[in-house]
Amino acid sequence: MEEITNLFHGFATVLQPFNILVMMVGLLLGVIIGVLPGLGGANGVAILLPLTFSMTPTSAIIMLSCIYWGALFGGAITSVLFNIPGEPWSVATTFDGHPMARKGKAGEALTAAFTSSFVGALFAVIVITLVAPLVAKFALQFGPAEKFAVYFLAFCSFVGMSKEPPSKTVASMMIGFALGAVGLDQMTGQLRLTFGVSELLTGFDFLIAVIGLFGIGEILLTMEEGLSFRGGHANINPKVVFQTWKELIRFWPTSLRSCVIGCWMGITPAGATPASFMSYGIAKRVSRNGHKFGTGEIEGVVAPETAAHAAGTSALLPMLALGVPGSPTAAVLLGGLLIWGLQPGPLLFMEQKEFVW
Amino acid sequence: MTENAQPAGAGPSYRSVEIGTALAMLLFAAITIYGALRVGINWGAEGPRAGFFPFYVAVLIALSSLYNLARVFMEGASGLFAEWSQLRQVMAVIIPTTAYVFLIPWIGLYVASIILIAVFMKWLGRYGWSMVAAVSVGVMVATYLMFEKWFLVPLPKGPIEDMLGL
Repeated sequence: MEEITNLFHGFATVLQPFNILVMMVGLLLGVIIGVLPGLGGANGVAILLPLTFSMTPTSAIIMLSCIYWGALFGGAITSVLFNIPGEPWSVATTFDGHPMARKGKAGEALTAAFTSSFVGALFAVIVITLVAPLVAKFALQFGPAEKFAVYFLAFCSFVGMSKEPPSKTVASMMIGFALGAVGLDQMTGQLRLTFGVSELLTGFDFLIAVIGLFGIGEILLTMEEGLSFRGGHANINPKVVFQTWKELIRFWPTSLRSCVIGCWMGITPAGATPASFMSYGIAKRVSRNGHKFGTGEIEGVVAPETAAHAAGTSALLPMLALGVPGSPTAAVLLGGLLIWGLQPGPLLFMEQKEFVW
Repeated sequence: MTENAQPAGAGPSYRSVEIGTALAMLLFAAITIYGALRVGINWGAEGPRAGFFPFYVAVLIALSSLYNLARVFMEGASGLFAEWSQLRQVMAVIIPTTAYVFLIPWIGLYVASIILIAVFMKWLGRYGWSMVAAVSVGVMVATYLMFEKWFLVPLPKGPIEDMLGL
């Protein structure tokens, strides 16, 4: 099948020395960013986006994806050890991860976390590989009306899934639209909402919005809540890792269920955070040890981490295929793609096949 | 957010912050409507005119904000938004950062960053002077090397760099 050949061609590209170096650097940076409270996946990718301007798009997206993954895992580290979720989707990991650390089982918690994240992400990658071309072919039949419908669905789901009352979500979304409308109107060629300020000719830059909203917002939030670290110590040695792996195999139904939840929530514009919460909640109700969740059950770490990573990875699918980001970090990656002049969407699969694979 | 079981500190309540935010959004909507009206909001020759879309977006913002405002008055009092001490800490970050942004066009990014890092380290972090100097100057020198020499991306500079011939 053409897809498999392309996939292997993609693997071959990834395995070039420069790209492997880039992967290592990206993972390292990503874990550092994920561990630092106040910087999360979306911020990290946004801040490091300019670093990639000098690379080819393929290497750049490899680096950014590795930063993203590293940040996902870094969030788990701080959730388990410090009870500080490094990113929003690590919150569910703190429910059982930190009690495990306090009971002295931090090594197992971390192992469970990174193993389940690997499993979740792998599952999502396979799903993307198999499903992406189909979605892309289908999406090529999209006209403007269908595209409008997709976006409308995405925005409505934001409203539906938010805890805040809908009027606040709508107001915020509309403010975003209004800010996006500043600058040159593409249809009529007129300047709007610039009020004579020449810097606004090109409108508000996406990167600026992301850094301002996510980056500075999180830093201020950290300041408000006070920077207090109550740490837990962890020893990871290979023996602990193997023991945990043996235990984890028992939990494969939970894993599988969380993968599916994660993929679904990643592909629809929900993202990793709702995926992790939903997976934790369902696992708690369905599992035999459900009543012990919250006191340090290893299953309580497996469920949210698998789902979060499956969601995070499958969020790339709508971004690449349809141009609709499935999560905030995918949104930043989308911005990066646009900066390099690549138009995500169905055309990406046709015209830029090497890049996609 | 923070779990404040005890009503220890004083601070602005959720109600005032909600009201303030709703009013700020209304102001934003008003500005947008004004801007949209300037370019025309009706249907032009080949489609909607430039102001059409922002106008209706702003109308939605205004309606949502008015609804939020109404909700605040319908619900009762609902606790603190934050304590003044917390807000002081937040302001301690916001005000220097804003000043930094406005200083950049005048004295360049590098000098302003050195000042910002030094201020944060000394004031909020209470490090010793030697540490402060080392980190602030060191970080900016590293940044300069990274951006100017490696990435070849020029960053805004000011009079001091002109004197040094950079």
